[in-house]
Amino acid sequence: MRALREDRPDLADEPPALSVRRLGKSYPGFTLDDLSFEVGRGRIAGLIGRNGAGKSTAIKGILRFISARGEVSVFGQEIALREREVKQMIGYVGGGFRFYPLKPLAAVRRAYARFYPRWDPAKYAACLSRFGLDEGKKVRELSEGMKVKFALALALSQGAKLLIMDEPTSGLDPLSREEFCDIVLDLVRREGITVLFSTHITSDLERIADDILYLFRGKLLADCPLKVWQSRYWLARFPSPERAAACSAIGVKPVREGFEGLLLRENLADPPPFPVFEPSLDALMIHLEREQENGL
Amino acid sequence: MKQLILKELSLCLHPTSLIFLSFAALVFVPNYPYEVIFFFSGLSVFFTCLTVRENGDLAFTAALPAPKGAIPLARMAVTMGFQILLLALVGALGALKAALLPAELLINEAGLSANWALVGSGALLLGAFNLLFFPRYFRRPDRVGGPFAAAAAVLFLLIGLLIALRWTLPLFSVTLNGSNAEHTGAKLIAMAAGLVLYAGLSALACLLSVRRFLKTDL
Repeated sequence: MRALREDRPDLADEPPALSVRRLGKSYPGFTLDDLSFEVGRGRIAGLIGRNGAGKSTAIKGILRFISARGEVSVFGQEIALREREVKQMIGYVGGGFRFYPLKPLAAVRRAYARFYPRWDPAKYAACLSRFGLDEGKKVRELSEGMKVKFALALALSQGAKLLIMDEPTSGLDPLSREEFCDIVLDLVRREGITVLFSTHITSDLERIADDILYLFRGKLLADCPLKVWQSRYWLARFPSPERAAACSAIGVKPVREGFEGLLLRENLADPPPFPVFEPSLDALMIHLEREQENGL
Repeated sequence: MKQLILKELSLCLHPTSLIFLSFAALVFVPNYPYEVIFFFSGLSVFFTCLTVRENGDLAFTAALPAPKGAIPLARMAVTMGFQILLLALVGALGALKAALLPAELLINEAGLSANWALVGSGALLLGAFNLLFFPRYFRRPDRVGGPFAAAAAVLFLLIGLLIALRWTLPLFSVTLNGSNAEHTGAKLIAMAAGLVLYAGLSALACLLSVRRFLKTDL
């Protein structure tokens, strides 16, 4: 599949919140292949892909946890040249808060807050109250959902303008995921924060993401607004694989009612000869991945 | 750097770093190889590094607004602070022992006496530990045991060598042994030489650790 890239009017006038150019990293058996993308200010970008696609490696490269090739700029400032200043603007939320399990939240907060001159105690207190966090508790005493909220409270109180979240909702139950997504959406609407949100739970993104960055085996296959990506395809159901092949369906696979695959809307006759549906992100990923794997 | 050091002290420090400082009081034990006191300092570093690994400290710290290269420097600065405190305590408690006990009781049959020369040899041992442990540790911070085993093995060889010298060379058995009141100049020179070596070895350890940590994938 040709990488889908759309011109993004939101990126035109000012430096984007996040600009990644030719980010690359090679491990035995895996290469992050010169990733380039931008995230506009005040947008929520979902970084998706199956396990092992390179989402975490990309985020680690952006944050310089790993020594990767390429250039990363945040609000126009290059992280390699101004690491301290740039990281002041970034709030990082990993999957849960796995650090210092035996320490009380207050001890972690004290150590953390010293690094941020713009630390806002009132905002932190408000986050604790809103999220129902007790600073006297130890990290290990928090549920997975509360750990993510604690990480979010720290990131928000430091004055972060860009939130980078690596699988923050993995391990959360559906209700906690819903609540977390509501919080993120609210933040973006009220405070104009920009979010890069890596996940393989795509239903979270369908609710809140503006843009999609789709990684497949270390390559960026799509970088466009979510709606544009979804409106590019129909999910079609066919009676047989032969009929699907005749329509050039993408990533055809058997389902209970027959066979399903994606059809490019621009190639489709009107009205469509088969039942078609709006594809979910899960469906897009499943069929596009299948097509890629068949092509390899 | 100040924030990183404060974070090390509040979140990372293992209690043995403080407990093993009290082992400086072993200089009051008669006929004991006092050089072993400095091994415990390395052991506390090992416990600290194990603890920070289990706490995910490096991943937490790497996300903070500090240059990546400052992370090993902060950990080593805290370690070196405790090492210098240990050397000062050994020197001070050795002087207190000399003030309290008769001169013949200051002769150590198991190694060097608790005097300025012991501080110098301790500084040499600690500098060697820093150089042997930290650069290897910061290349693969998830592997603490290998670098510590290598550093501890060399440390015990050096301790054995120092004890052997105390029994074979008059410089060690006579000149550098006993009270600070005797052969004071030689003992001060031994201490100064040890401290210079400590500074040089530790500086090299810092340089190599930063260089390797910058290439480390967390």
